[in-house]
Amino acid sequence: MTKRLFDWLKQPLSLIAVGIVLLALFSFAAYGVSLTQKSPEQPIQFPHKTHVSLGIQCLYCHAGAARGPAAGIPSQARCWGCHNQIAKTQTSQLLAPLKQAVISGKPLEWVPVFIVPDFVHFNHRAHIAAGQNCENCHGDMSKVTVAESPQVFNMGFCLNCHKKVAAGNQALLVKLTDCGTCHY
Amino acid sequence: MSDKFSRRDFLKLAGVGAATTAILTGCGPASRYVKREPYMLMPEYNYNGLSTYYATTCRECAAGCGLVVRTFQGRAIKTEGNANNPLNLGKTCARGQATLHGLYNPDRVTEPIKRKRGNASGETVTWDAAIQTVADALKNNQPNEIAFLLGTTSDHLFDLVADLSTQTGINAPIRFGALSMFESRATLSKAAENLFGKVGLPFFDVGKAQTVFSFGANFLETWLSPVSYTRGFAGLRESKTKQRGTFVQFESRMSSTAAKADEWIPIRPGTEAMVILAIGRLASELRGGPLPRAFADIDPAGVATKSDIKLETLRHLAELFANSNGSLAIPGGAALGQSNGLAVAEAVLTLNAAVGNFGKPGGVFFSPLAPNQTEYQRSASVQEMQNFVKQMANGKFKVLFVHGVNPAFELPASLGFKDALKGVERVISFATFPDETASESDYVFPDHHGLESWGYQRVTTGSVNSVISGSQPVVVPLYNTRATVDVLIAAAKLAGGKFASALPFKDEVEFLQSKIAPLMDASDGFFAAPDINTFMANFQQYGGWWTTTDGRSLPNIADVLNRSLKDAESEFAGEGEFFFVPFVLPTIAEAGANKPWLQELPDPTTTVMWNTWVEINPATADDLGIEDDDVVKITSDAGELEVPVYRYPAIRPDTIAIPFGQGHTAYGRYAENRGVNPADLLGQNFNDAGDLAFAGMKVKIQKTGKKQPLSRLEGKLGVYGFKKE
Repeated sequence: MTKRLFDWLKQPLSLIAVGIVLLALFSFAAYGVSLTQKSPEQPIQFPHKTHVSLGIQCLYCHAGAARGPAAGIPSQARCWGCHNQIAKTQTSQLLAPLKQAVISGKPLEWVPVFIVPDFVHFNHRAHIAAGQNCENCHGDMSKVTVAESPQVFNMGFCLNCHKKVAAGNQALLVKLTDCGTCHY
Repeated sequence: MSDKFSRRDFLKLAGVGAATTAILTGCGPASRYVKREPYMLMPEYNYNGLSTYYATTCRECAAGCGLVVRTFQGRAIKTEGNANNPLNLGKTCARGQATLHGLYNPDRVTEPIKRKRGNASGETVTWDAAIQTVADALKNNQPNEIAFLLGTTSDHLFDLVADLSTQTGINAPIRFGALSMFESRATLSKAAENLFGKVGLPFFDVGKAQTVFSFGANFLETWLSPVSYTRGFAGLRESKTKQRGTFVQFESRMSSTAAKADEWIPIRPGTEAMVILAIGRLASELRGGPLPRAFADIDPAGVATKSDIKLETLRHLAELFANSNGSLAIPGGAALGQSNGLAVAEAVLTLNAAVGNFGKPGGVFFSPLAPNQTEYQRSASVQEMQNFVKQMANGKFKVLFVHGVNPAFELPASLGFKDALKGVERVISFATFPDETASESDYVFPDHHGLESWGYQRVTTGSVNSVISGSQPVVVPLYNTRATVDVLIAAAKLAGGKFASALPFKDEVEFLQSKIAPLMDASDGFFAAPDINTFMANFQQYGGWWTTTDGRSLPNIADVLNRSLKDAESEFAGEGEFFFVPFVLPTIAEAGANKPWLQELPDPTTTVMWNTWVEINPATADDLGIEDDDVVKITSDAGELEVPVYRYPAIRPDTIAIPFGQGHTAYGRYAENRGVNPADLLGQNFNDAGDLAFAGMKVKIQKTGKKQPLSRLEGKLGVYGFKKE
């Protein structure tokens, strides 16, 4: 088959055809990949930057980060605690789903974007305890509306930071780069 | 050869391109996005982002293993064993893990329903109307026209109905489960009663034994308390204080328990009693001393001929049993499910007496009694169910309440439960799932799923302590269901008179507290509390209550060896040429067919999934010209069914076996119209203890010419890649 293939490829028309096919495949793949990188649709276009600019701490809403593995999504009661004091909540189009959720008792369906595959055990607590700030991984939330992941959370991203933190400390480096630290 | 790049090659290349695209897109985070619903109003004791764990009790079988369920934002997401519970010490079986698939099952009964019998759908009624219906049923009928048929789980519901029965004169509740039929529980306890003069379930200390002989007991699958016995088996095999133990299994087909054995003895069905006595005689001779009367009349050479076990093998087994410092023999399952089953059970217990292991580590004990446990709570034998069904058919009952059991599926079809239902004016089911019995009912008033329920379960065997495992709701009920105990309390109040005074409780929790309150005075409980609220809080937190002392008792064995025992072969019903062995599918058992995790779990020995098969020895199959996946018709004197063949080398050539667990005609989308139910073949022959002689039948095989491929994990070519052409 290989010889046949090369003979066939020597014709100029074939080369063009192959070129077109490859281009089509490439653009299709690129489109597919770009689809995966788009942030998913959220029930509310939640403006993180507004909340951060008002001086609200990350841990006020995502309290689980300091205590355990998951940072958690705040309950509607937490949103409503402030928002029922704010007149704009009653009229704002953007906030209508929140109002609706509170009235109907049906929770909003958020789609977390900062996710890692199931075979990774990520624990927020250890990172907060080690003095890492939220923005080190999640980016500057004072600039974004709906949460978007500023980088791909792959193993390289984790290990780069782990190595940097452990620089010069061999014992710590072994701990932080051990497979079993995250994959168990 | 063409000088052009062929169409086929082009397609290959295009295929590679498409696959690359698919892989690239599949790797992106988009493939993992899921929707999350946060709490509307988070309970105070929760932290955002942290799991909350609750201790409760597994309801997938009657063993009563403790569970710890991980919940996250109000949803149950993982079940594991409760490490505190002395029965299962932190372990579960596959069915315990899959209990979540019951909770989230899309086919649950979500509202109280009134329907015409046999119709899948019906009209929704309110709970007020439902309670009124139950109250009317209680009030407007004579007490002896009201019957309760309950399952083997939810002991607290059974206790409530028992109280109702004793105080108002309605019929005593009867409880049944297919597992107790297949494990021959009644036979085991009757044999113990005959030999030791005391009713109770023997406890077999597998963990500390050195040599274990099991006669049909599939204790690593579903028998009595599988998690506890599996842990015992681990102790037999690996221990710091003794050598690796030996395990021999006697049965005509290799079950997954037998697959773990050092030796599998494919005994001829029906000869169990004489083989046990022969081993007893040979072992007693090796041990010296006078020959016990129980074994005096047996002739090992004759037994060897009848049972297809060579005399040398019998001698070798007897030597193994006699010379080990810790021998144990266990009876159970198909060996007892025969016409002479009681004699088999007695012979096995006598064999234990011959090596004097009663009350010693690695021997036989009486199981400790759970708190408030009495003989009244045992499950019915099939013979008792036969009487019950006859009474139904004769119109003795005007009202039948059914909870926690699916007799239309679990009982042998020849008993005619479905037809007998026509003799009952009003059938009220409390089923959580739309099973066969629920669809033949006039009303379905759905109970919560076990993970949404209060309750307790008594541990009848498997633990050295006296244990009552507690249940509490781990999630808020997902649907408009209501606890059956609450429904009965409310209905009794509405019915008034003696009913109201029989159940003077505010709700289910108050009833539970009234039942566990006496435990506060016990001296050997592992926790104590001065008042009921604190006691209840501990009961919920630890998942039950148990004693700290070894509650096993020693049987009275004075005359056991001096009884003469029956060694006759069992009788087989039917004309066929093949012994028929129905066995409980270890992964699915009687109620797991609606859980996809369990359907997808390959059977441990054949690796078949999602279906029923019949196991036929390849030699027999070759004689009959039957290949894998050929559909054959099996005929017994009670019924017939068509089922695809799995050529199974580990079964006697004169025996065929069909797993029980599939073949539902209702029970939701994952269970319906999948496989066949071997209960359709079962007749009405009983052993002396009233248990069904389910393994005491002979059947015929006929080819049908049809084929139905079985899905299975192993390759169609077999493990070693060869196949007879």
